[in-house]
Amino acid sequence: MDTSLFLVQLLNGVQYGLLLFLIASGLTLVFGVMGILNLAHGSMYMIGAYLAYYFTTLTDSFLLAFIISGTIALVIGIIIERFLIIHLYKRDHLDQVLLTVGLIFIFNATQSYVWGNDPLGVEVPELLSGSIRLTDIVEYPVYRLFISLLCLVVAASMYFTINKTRLGMMIRAGESDRAMVENLGVDISKLFTIVFAIGVFLASLAGIVSAPIVSLVPGMGEHVLISCFVVVVIGGLGSIKGAFVAALIVGIVDTYASVLLPQISSMSIYLLMALILLVKPQGLFKN
Amino acid sequence: MSIFANKSEKIFIYLFFAIGLFIPLFLEGNTFYINKFSTIIILAIFVMSLDYLVGRTGLITLGHAMFYGLGGYIFTILAPEYEAVNFWVYTFYVMLISGFIALIVGLIVLRTSGIYMIMITLALAQMTFYFFADSIEYGGQDGLFIYIKPETSIFGLSFLDLDNETHFYYLCLLSLFNCFVFFKIIMNSSFGRVIDALKENPDRATALGYNIFHFRLIAYVLASSLAAYAGYLFALQFGFVNPSMMSWDVSATALVMALLGGLGSIYGAIIGSFVYEGLHYFIEHLTEYWMFFMGALIIVLVLTLKYGMAGFLNNLSGGKRS
Amino acid sequence: MSQTILEAENLCKFWGGLKALNELNIEFKDKQLHSIVGPNGAGKSTLLNTLCGAYPATSGVILYHGKPITHLKGYEFCRTGIGRSFQKTNIFHNATCLENCCIAAQQRIGGSFNLFRKRSTNRKIAEIARSALEQVGLGARADTKATEVSYGEQRQLEIAMVLATAPKVLLLDEPMAGMGHEESQTIISLLKELKKQYCIVLVEHDMDAVFELSDLMTVMVDGQHLITDTVDNIRNNPLVQDAYLGNDDEVF
Repeated sequence: MDTSLFLVQLLNGVQYGLLLFLIASGLTLVFGVMGILNLAHGSMYMIGAYLAYYFTTLTDSFLLAFIISGTIALVIGIIIERFLIIHLYKRDHLDQVLLTVGLIFIFNATQSYVWGNDPLGVEVPELLSGSIRLTDIVEYPVYRLFISLLCLVVAASMYFTINKTRLGMMIRAGESDRAMVENLGVDISKLFTIVFAIGVFLASLAGIVSAPIVSLVPGMGEHVLISCFVVVVIGGLGSIKGAFVAALIVGIVDTYASVLLPQISSMSIYLLMALILLVKPQGLFKN
Repeated sequence: MSIFANKSEKIFIYLFFAIGLFIPLFLEGNTFYINKFSTIIILAIFVMSLDYLVGRTGLITLGHAMFYGLGGYIFTILAPEYEAVNFWVYTFYVMLISGFIALIVGLIVLRTSGIYMIMITLALAQMTFYFFADSIEYGGQDGLFIYIKPETSIFGLSFLDLDNETHFYYLCLLSLFNCFVFFKIIMNSSFGRVIDALKENPDRATALGYNIFHFRLIAYVLASSLAAYAGYLFALQFGFVNPSMMSWDVSATALVMALLGGLGSIYGAIIGSFVYEGLHYFIEHLTEYWMFFMGALIIVLVLTLKYGMAGFLNNLSGGKRS
Repeated sequence: MSQTILEAENLCKFWGGLKALNELNIEFKDKQLHSIVGPNGAGKSTLLNTLCGAYPATSGVILYHGKPITHLKGYEFCRTGIGRSFQKTNIFHNATCLENCCIAAQQRIGGSFNLFRKRSTNRKIAEIARSALEQVGLGARADTKATEVSYGEQRQLEIAMVLATAPKVLLLDEPMAGMGHEESQTIISLLKELKKQYCIVLVEHDMDAVFELSDLMTVMVDGQHLITDTVDNIRNNPLVQDAYLGNDDEVF
């Protein structure tokens, strides 16, 4: 593999990794604060992508679609938490799994009902549609760079929110000691609603921005969900820092494996996970 | 003392197998329904093995379908393509090899617990899924075909012809019965005593001197090789295997069936499979978007019916929850 | 002079920066009841948990009959003869009292990997379990579900389960916690009987009981050993009174 191809693959790997981080951070945040494993997290990625498709077609503006879809995702998050997840706080893991599997079924059926089962695509917004020249012969699409940049901005603002703001303080307290948060006079049910909505929003955001570079097919949510599990398991459940590092590793390994070892490319990240688990059963960054 | 935990279980099992024995007579060679019943019975074996793991041992897995699929693949890969092999010999091979794989997988996944275990079992199942889906040698997404079904002779005597739908149905029914009796026996055994203890309170079981890892591993291997047996039957019935047998939703649906029947009740697995498949069949005929209603049903179920149909039947017959 | 069964040398248990046990040296003799007292947070429960293998020691050695057992896995401690009861009632609620003790006894008798032998057919296990129940005075409750017996009886069951594992050493973590006066009296007379046969290490907040029962007492402060002596000497030791009055208002 020559240097320029290597570079392009590295950029692709980082971009995919950052996108995975966006989704996995929502999953791990919700688990860390609320103790809930949301299997329907991947479905929110799918819904984000399909909403982006729908509103881009409707309004002819990706930016507008971006805003509307993001808002809808937040509202869906709040509704799910208020009406369903709220019943799970005192239940065991199995009930969480089953209820969120039920949600996956509902989302998949809704997707199939509204948009059908044929693959769909969204055009890259005109403003970001060009490519930039990396070397004499290699070009790289601007839109992919935009995704990476956006994910980095989200990661940075998450870091800022969690470490510097009052909401972040409550989130950190919620992760370590739930009773303490309540003693501090924080409305825990409101905190949970906010955190869950943020989690859902992050997954949908990833779906919205990936819509122009992936094909929209049924089952895309589950595929992403399981990749996120790999990220979260490698990074250490509940650790956002771990999710960041693991997502980049997974993104890069997955991208290079598909070029260098095509025979086992789809298995590569799972093999990586199994190897890491043998050495560190709690993941790289145990919380 | 009988093997039954309560009266409703006893009544259900007697009724189910009595009806099961005679139903082919009423269907009079209507192969569509006989095949349908065989499929659900195979599914019930799979769900039962999962119910033992989740409901009795307390190990929640979302990757059980991996062994279901492996059962089919092990047979198809191992058996010569154009030669009828012996069913019983290959049953032994399938269960032995899948048990060995379960041992290796168990060594990894049982080092973790709770949410971690859920995610890791799912991820490993997905890995196996991709292994077969990407493998040209094993037919990729299309899978492999079984051209010749095994013969079933024991010491030269043959009672069953697997190409005959009714015969195959009775083989499935017998398998389900054996599976049920097997689980009931190990539940009531000395081993079962430790499994009960470590499910309820693993820390105390450890403090009493039990190495709970060993017990969990044995339970995992047993349940997995029975799941593989179910997958082997499935492959024989349809004459092919493909990766979709081990897709995540097969595991998730089986979990829903176990819940529907009543987790940990073992016989509930039979109820769960039949009720779920019945509803599926019914709703599918009404609307293409049956998954929407199944999803809603699952949510309602989780939020209301804690002890499943088995618990419901037990309340009806006036018994206490066991 | 009775023989030393269990001892700890320079035993340490750190939780991050917190030194829950700091260079502790202590020994326990056969057929004696040795209580550990000290203000809250002195490390009494940590000591019990480390001695029974639930928490691995940070450093130091635990000796059983003179042999180091520090390296053993948690579940192996029980098999060597160290049984422990828990501060919070920790029984199998869904099982009967007898079955609770059977679970304990079966570990010793074996056959736990027998998939096919019906559990109820093992007479020997049932006999051990029954005699453990009778020893603590729960013989009549054998077939009652553990959830359905009174709190005091659950505490007795807790001890019966330990006895059914045939230990040499009993580590008892607040066996009288949350009990009324009468229930405590039952446990006190039980422990008086038990100390004729076993080496007992007792952590208990009920000081009347501790003084009534103990052959030896050890006072711990801040994870360290302060003093070990007989009951009478401890009672009059000014150092001990300081330790208590200085740290905590919990007085005996």
